[in-house]
Amino acid sequence: MSILRKRPRLEDRPVPEKDPITTSSLATPIAIFSLLLILTLVWALYDEILGLRPWIGYQRDFVKTYQKALVEMKPVRAQEEAAIYGSNEYQELEQALQEAETAIKPALAEIEQEERILGPKLTAITKPFTTARSRVQAAIYLLETANESSKASLEEDLQKLREGPYTVEIPEPDGSLVEKSYSYGEMEEEFNALKVKQGELQARTVELVRPSTQLRRELNTFASARLTSVTEAQVEGLLTRLDNFRVEIKQIYNADIGRVAANGQTPLVDRCESCHAGVREPVILTPETMGGNPLFASHSNRELLTIHDPETFGCTPCHNGNGVATVGVKEGHGNYKHWLWPLYPKAHFDAGCLQCHEADRHLELAPTLNAGKQLFSQRGCQGCHPREGFEPEPRLLRSVQKSILDLRLERNEVEQETQRTISTADRAETNEEADRLYNQADALTLNIADIDTQLDRLTVREADVMLEVKKVGPNLKEVKTKLKKEWIPVWISNPHDFRPTTKMPRFRLDEQQVQAVSAYIWQSGIDVELPQQSSGDPQQGEILFETRGCLACHSIGEESGATGGTFAANLSRVGEKANYDYLVRWIHNPKERTLPYCPIHQRDITPEDYASQGLPFQFDPQHAQCPLGDHLLQVQQPTVMPNLRLSWDESRDVASYLMMQAHEDAAYPDAEYLDDSNLAKQGQALVKHFGCAGCHEISGFENEGKIGTDLTKEGSKPIERLDFGLLTTQAKQEGWYNAKGFFDRKLADPSVWDQGKVKEPLERLRMPNHELSSEEINQLTTFLLGSVESVIPTTHHYAPDDDREEIQKGWWLVAKYNCMACHQFSPGQETVLENLPLYQDPDSRDQLPPSLVGEGARVNPNWLSRFLRNPALSETDTNRNGVRPYLKARMPSFGLSDGEIQQLVRFFNALSKQPLPYTAVPPDPLSSQELTMARELFTHQAAPCLRCHATGDAATDADSSAPNFLLVPERLRSDWTKRWIVHPETIRPGTNMPSGLFRQQDQRWVFGLADVPSLRSYTKDHAELMVRYMFQYTAGEQRRLTSR
Amino acid sequence: MDWAQLWEIAAKPDNIPIVALLVLIPFFTWYGFRQALANDRLIARLENDKELAKTHNRKLEPYREEWDQKVYVWPYLLRVEFFVAIVVTVILMIWSITLNAPLEEPANPNLTMNPSKAPWYFLGLQEMLVYFDPWIAGVLMPTLIIVGLMVIPYIDLNPLGNGYYTFRQRKFAILTFLFGFMVLWLVMVFIGTFIRGPGWMWFWPGATWDHHRLIFETNRDLHEILGITSGQPWIGLVGATAVGLYVAVFGWLTHKLIVWNEFNRKIYERMTLVQYLTLQTFLVVMWALPVKILLRLLFRVKYVMVTPWFNI
Repeated sequence: MSILRKRPRLEDRPVPEKDPITTSSLATPIAIFSLLLILTLVWALYDEILGLRPWIGYQRDFVKTYQKALVEMKPVRAQEEAAIYGSNEYQELEQALQEAETAIKPALAEIEQEERILGPKLTAITKPFTTARSRVQAAIYLLETANESSKASLEEDLQKLREGPYTVEIPEPDGSLVEKSYSYGEMEEEFNALKVKQGELQARTVELVRPSTQLRRELNTFASARLTSVTEAQVEGLLTRLDNFRVEIKQIYNADIGRVAANGQTPLVDRCESCHAGVREPVILTPETMGGNPLFASHSNRELLTIHDPETFGCTPCHNGNGVATVGVKEGHGNYKHWLWPLYPKAHFDAGCLQCHEADRHLELAPTLNAGKQLFSQRGCQGCHPREGFEPEPRLLRSVQKSILDLRLERNEVEQETQRTISTADRAETNEEADRLYNQADALTLNIADIDTQLDRLTVREADVMLEVKKVGPNLKEVKTKLKKEWIPVWISNPHDFRPTTKMPRFRLDEQQVQAVSAYIWQSGIDVELPQQSSGDPQQGEILFETRGCLACHSIGEESGATGGTFAANLSRVGEKANYDYLVRWIHNPKERTLPYCPIHQRDITPEDYASQGLPFQFDPQHAQCPLGDHLLQVQQPTVMPNLRLSWDESRDVASYLMMQAHEDAAYPDAEYLDDSNLAKQGQALVKHFGCAGCHEISGFENEGKIGTDLTKEGSKPIERLDFGLLTTQAKQEGWYNAKGFFDRKLADPSVWDQGKVKEPLERLRMPNHELSSEEINQLTTFLLGSVESVIPTTHHYAPDDDREEIQKGWWLVAKYNCMACHQFSPGQETVLENLPLYQDPDSRDQLPPSLVGEGARVNPNWLSRFLRNPALSETDTNRNGVRPYLKARMPSFGLSDGEIQQLVRFFNALSKQPLPYTAVPPDPLSSQELTMARELFTHQAAPCLRCHATGDAATDADSSAPNFLLVPERLRSDWTKRWIVHPETIRPGTNMPSGLFRQQDQRWVFGLADVPSLRSYTKDHAELMVRYMFQYTAGEQRRLTSR
Repeated sequence: MDWAQLWEIAAKPDNIPIVALLVLIPFFTWYGFRQALANDRLIARLENDKELAKTHNRKLEPYREEWDQKVYVWPYLLRVEFFVAIVVTVILMIWSITLNAPLEEPANPNLTMNPSKAPWYFLGLQEMLVYFDPWIAGVLMPTLIIVGLMVIPYIDLNPLGNGYYTFRQRKFAILTFLFGFMVLWLVMVFIGTFIRGPGWMWFWPGATWDHHRLIFETNRDLHEILGITSGQPWIGLVGATAVGLYVAVFGWLTHKLIVWNEFNRKIYERMTLVQYLTLQTFLVVMWALPVKILLRLLFRVKYVMVTPWFNI
């Protein structure tokens, strides 16, 4: 502790002999620090050249590992190539090519010979002729523009020029030159004749080499289609390129797509490839091939790169990160405090799509994002949280309704104004004044007519949008008829206990709150008696339930034993809660309401209301007028559940089956308190507080707003605005103080930020617990992280204004109604149904609903909209499939609005790149002779069409496996029909429709299965004949054929 | 004790100069004082020993008679300065290689950072805003500081202590400086850096800067404490009285300081009235700062004097 010891004062310390100022030397410290200075200089230089440029080392490593990988790859590539070139098919093709080339050799030689004679002649004459032509043309111009006096002499000049003579030395085939003399006209003729000859020769050559060119192309595509990667020669080329690899900053610059902020646009500068050098290499580089270094791997999805050319889009617009930074991994990835766009974590790559693809519901290459969006809408997140694009219908409805009210007011005013004007006119003092005012009144009347037109249009729109409004949860006005009373509190206290996969989340309610909410829900329900239903046959019901397609949306069976879709509820214990009478009615028609709701009177309209106006109690989309005023009622249940058009008996069977779905020991405590009106009053406040009306229709809450945060731009909220509560410090220390950390934890446990907080019960976080799996959390977090204020200029957003816009909009509907559970929309997409046990037997695959790939090219759009409106294609016989009566699975009626139907039709057309509007071109009618031939073909023993195709006869239709021909004229497009009967296998792989019905012969299709004597003399296309026949196929024709 | 929090503050590239300041200022103060006090003792010895004074050829300790009385600037001074220049360059080089400029994200007009702090050299000024009206703390005081520094040569009538370290001969000047710079300015910079956390709340060093922290703190004006609620002009008059009282008391104390001892009195006698009043004014205003800080921190006094135009 010498430092604390008392030290002598400065003047008392021993004084050195020599003056320290003049005699001491500073040389040593100066030398040491100079050395240090030099060292820091070296350090600075190192830092500048290498330390701050880690990419130099990376690029050198890349070149080394890549070279090694390429060298290793070379023999493999060579082997593959050799295998392809050595394959019989290739050899055959090559042989054919050689043969074709040899075959045309003599003809080519002949042409060449002729060209050899023609060429020199043409060359010899070209120059003199073009010179003469220029002169003549110049002389003509002079003549045309000359004044009258000089015209005569100029005409003479021209005449002289035309006469010539022009001497040309024409080479003869033997090499000698023959001097010929032409006038201008003769020379022109000669020149043109030679030109024509030359053209003819060229055309002949092209015609001759066409087969061999075609073969060569086939040969090339044969190889390239079979090569899994680059060729050996390409590997060689890559190696040469690597030899000349320059270590430098690899940069993408694009001034058009850089970040847009308040202070303008920063050009895009992405230097990511300075380290990730292999991203765009033609060879697919995996970390394994690159010595285990993921840094050098190529982009994991080539297709994405093809769509978004990196030269245009760069890297950071999709991935985020700091594209300019090259000093280190952390900096480049933007993973530091003040960079607002850190790299999306691997699990959330898809989030980057959303900036430009906000309008897309479905992105082929962003499965996580699609799933996130699906979850968001399916779990009812949008019930509480406004989010652009999701659930736009209620807002749309409100704005239409407001426009209608405004217009009505305007109409009243104009009407009054008209009355006033007329009465003033009546009392006018002069005739002119009166006329003027009457005219004015007329103009106002016109104005009223105009408003009426607008009102009509808007009313139609309103009715449309009313059909489109859907709620995630069921209508709670009907609890009294629908549910068992005792079950309600049990369900509300923890829905997941009863049904683990339910979309109804668990609210953090205490027992008293549960009772209060239950009481309100119960007491706010409508009191009506439903007609009693006799019991059905549960066995029959089970068969119907499994075959009609209920399982596309619903599942049945508990835990791992569950089968079916996840779009709607698992029905395993539905018998414990439901009332049979209600269930029957629901299955028969889920859209049917007990009472219609009036948005103007803001209450349900009762039979008494109808009676008071002397009207029958009838309401459906055709009778949607409110009895109490001139406005529309909500006449349908706001559910996406479609009407399967089952008969009452069938509905009873299914309901009976479902009522058996219950635990045997199911027992619920008595819940008399549900009738306590005081409790209900408390419950009302709670229902409002917890936003129950976001997902359910509840009496008194029909116009309730959303209670949650707007999530449209949630991903770009500054971190300071995300309240981590008392966990902020922990989050910072553990490194999850970021948006991902917030979303992940909030979704896993929505009350997490209340931890340790002392709060009144109703001040606590309200978001309920959805019991999401970690995968689901990941998907939702991806969606939220991507929901940002876009910094990419709108010019680069994906907002097409052509067909593709219809595709974008269509996907929202496809997702809304879960069409993908039954139908395939793109090749490779799996449906829920096809994975059900019922359809695993290869024979039962025929029973799957049709794939809709290419639907727009197949059917007539006008027919499609009719079909979507009523899939039974009949007003009376509705308990059937309109097109495919043989399918047990039922295409249900979705109760789509006209707007939605039109949207879907445009969607299918756009998906198949078909233009709209569509004009059907009916094929030429058949002559009677052709008709006889067509009939013969149609019923030919080798391929009797009606063996598989339905005829409308119930007895035979049960075994049929293809649609009725009667639908053809209005349903199908003739061009598609021809393609279909010729090549069904290429349009729909795996179809039952036999391929090879026709074979090509002399540029036309002829029946390929048998020689039909009566058609031998028919020189036209047989397939075309069939199509024409099918397009004039009538019921009478069918009777005629079937009666034979 | 939240070491992570303390480290976060201390290690911020912004705060490096302040951490350095905490070590360097005391060190150089001590170092200067050691020489000054040794010289003071030498001066005392020479004053007592006239003979020694004749032969002693340096004003600095230590010395030997045979040493040169004067040495040249070159090389004896310049080589030291050169050496120091190298050392400082080395330090600056290392500093600039290892620490990047503490740049942050683009400003977001919708989001104010919390705490929102001025650069380190302005933190003292910002801290003053806690105690005074923005107009006084932000405009008047800084102006007075600059003007005050400018008038020093005109009111400093002490002829001694130039060119060597001494404390005894310039006690008044040195103490005033140390009080103004070290006690007021640096302490405020320190408070601003290490103690003021989110919401500009007072966090002792080592406490976690919790953005959710809530504290009960009500500041009241002096007249409220005194229970005067009769409105203006009484409130203003109460304040004026208090300020007047302060000026009287601290003017008297300052005068006592100016005439503290024989030496000071001699200088005081050489002063003109203008010089004396200028000195008094600046010192009284300077004292006001710590007085107000204490009033605020200990007694939660917001303003002493409240008028419709300005508050003190």
